[in-house]
Amino acid sequence: MTAHSPAPQRAGFEPGLGSTRPRHTGVRLFLAATWARAYVRIAGSLREPTWIISDAIFPNLGMCAFVLLYRALGAPREYEALAVVGGVLTTYWINVLWGMGAQLYWEKQQGQLQLYFAAPCSLVAVLTGMAVGGLAATMVRSLVGVALGVWVFHVQLAAFSPWALAAVFVLTMVALYALGMTLSSLFLLYGREAWHTANALQEPVYFLSGLYFPIRSLGALGAVAAGILPLTLGTDAIRQVLLGHAARGLLPLPLEALALAGFAVLFLWTARVSLAYLETLSKREGRLTQRWQ
Amino acid sequence: MAVIPSIRAALSRARTAAWLGWQVEGNWADPVLFSIYILARPLATALILAIMYSTVRAHGADPTVFVGFYVANAFHSYVNTVLVGMGWVVFEEREEYETLKYVYASPVGMFTYLAGRSLVKFTLATVSVVVTLLVGWFLLGVRWDWATVQWLPLAASIAAGLASTLFLGFLLAGWSLVLTRSAMVVLEGVTLASYLLCGVIFPIDLLPRPLQAVALGLPFTWWYEALRRFLAGHGTHGVMQRLSDTQVLLALGGASVVFAVLARWGYFAFERRARALGRLDQTTLF
Repeated sequence: MTAHSPAPQRAGFEPGLGSTRPRHTGVRLFLAATWARAYVRIAGSLREPTWIISDAIFPNLGMCAFVLLYRALGAPREYEALAVVGGVLTTYWINVLWGMGAQLYWEKQQGQLQLYFAAPCSLVAVLTGMAVGGLAATMVRSLVGVALGVWVFHVQLAAFSPWALAAVFVLTMVALYALGMTLSSLFLLYGREAWHTANALQEPVYFLSGLYFPIRSLGALGAVAAGILPLTLGTDAIRQVLLGHAARGLLPLPLEALALAGFAVLFLWTARVSLAYLETLSKREGRLTQRWQ
Repeated sequence: MAVIPSIRAALSRARTAAWLGWQVEGNWADPVLFSIYILARPLATALILAIMYSTVRAHGADPTVFVGFYVANAFHSYVNTVLVGMGWVVFEEREEYETLKYVYASPVGMFTYLAGRSLVKFTLATVSVVVTLLVGWFLLGVRWDWATVQWLPLAASIAAGLASTLFLGFLLAGWSLVLTRSAMVVLEGVTLASYLLCGVIFPIDLLPRPLQAVALGLPFTWWYEALRRFLAGHGTHGVMQRLSDTQVLLALGGASVVFAVLARWGYFAFERRARALGRLDQTTLF
């Protein structure tokens, strides 16, 4: 390259304005980073056929077993509908746990985590992209559970408002994936135990969220769980919209929606704080590039 | 005789592998945390079943039927921990720790190594089964009449069930040797599919007919039915009800022998295939 040749265009930088001015800053950079990470997640999830099968079918196998248990015990059909709704929601919890919570740990294992910290965008934007992409991919896969419920188990739904369903679903998902963003930094701090923690949290959360029975059946424990886990309240709220009185709801629906919104704000804040702490720790101790730590 | 020293050597190697397995499984946490980790999953599932039953008890759910399902669910820990766990050993050694090739090249040998690692998993599964049954008995009211327990058939069925678990574990481990990244999906799939296909918590009559045929071919279906009859005192309704205790035991024994032979042959066939394909040290950065 001679002294008079034009500067080569660099990815992410504005052409014609010199190589030092980035194309995106502020909110635009946040959104661009979010979209970029979401795209990777969606495209990646479509390129691994075995993962499509595992994400779409496996969570529903457990749901089928629990529905058949109700049938074996001679329970009224409305309980089968309760279990189907809960079973569909397990798909999201699994995605939050493994696709969000354990993700930064995987990134470290693969030697990519330091790239996230070195990138000019916020780590919150990266995790938001991961959440948006994961949610989009999981929504498609959870349709398998819906199809099983409708065509195999013939669940009966009450007349419901699609707007109410959409509102409650969005609130639940924002709260749930914000929790996943918080878990991702916590799991990374725990290091090698991330795998075990994610493993150990799966079924206990199914239990505490009342995914296969009305949360009211847990009594006081159910109320405590509802105060900690957004999945508990989200499951109950979605069931109330879809099943009406048969859902045996824990709290009135507007109250649950309000609490879910509160969860969303709280977990988005804790995610931001914990990621900032993680970044500081990574620079101070320099441990994040080491596998097995 | 040369047989005794070779058996002694194999046992010694298996013991070493078991010790190593214990270090791998348990060295990441203190004993209390490790116990919580081991018991959280099976106890949570047991509690889900118990709450489901208590929720619908008022609608006429038969308590004896539920006891049978609870017992089978407790023993299903062996399938989750040992059978699937042996496949995870291969997956972790190759992908996580990248030590599979060293194990394969060592004088211990993969088969003995896997047998040793399975001992730890059997121990952990046994703890899980005992605690789940104790929690059921003392906290959830899942009880049976000890006077009706048929001890000899029960012991025989447990022996056959555990042998089937071990041999199918070898088969799954062999399959994991051939598979790379997809081993994770297969292992998770087997865990969940076995819960559905073996009629752990419902009679297999509720499955579609083709799946019923598959269920009847699996030793675990017969094992759980035997446990219900010989421990809890009641089998399931439907297809199984038409069979006598002896027929159930014979079916369990037959299925176990067939699967043992098939699994041993299959393991070594998979191992040869994995070696030919160069899969023993192939990592995929999953």
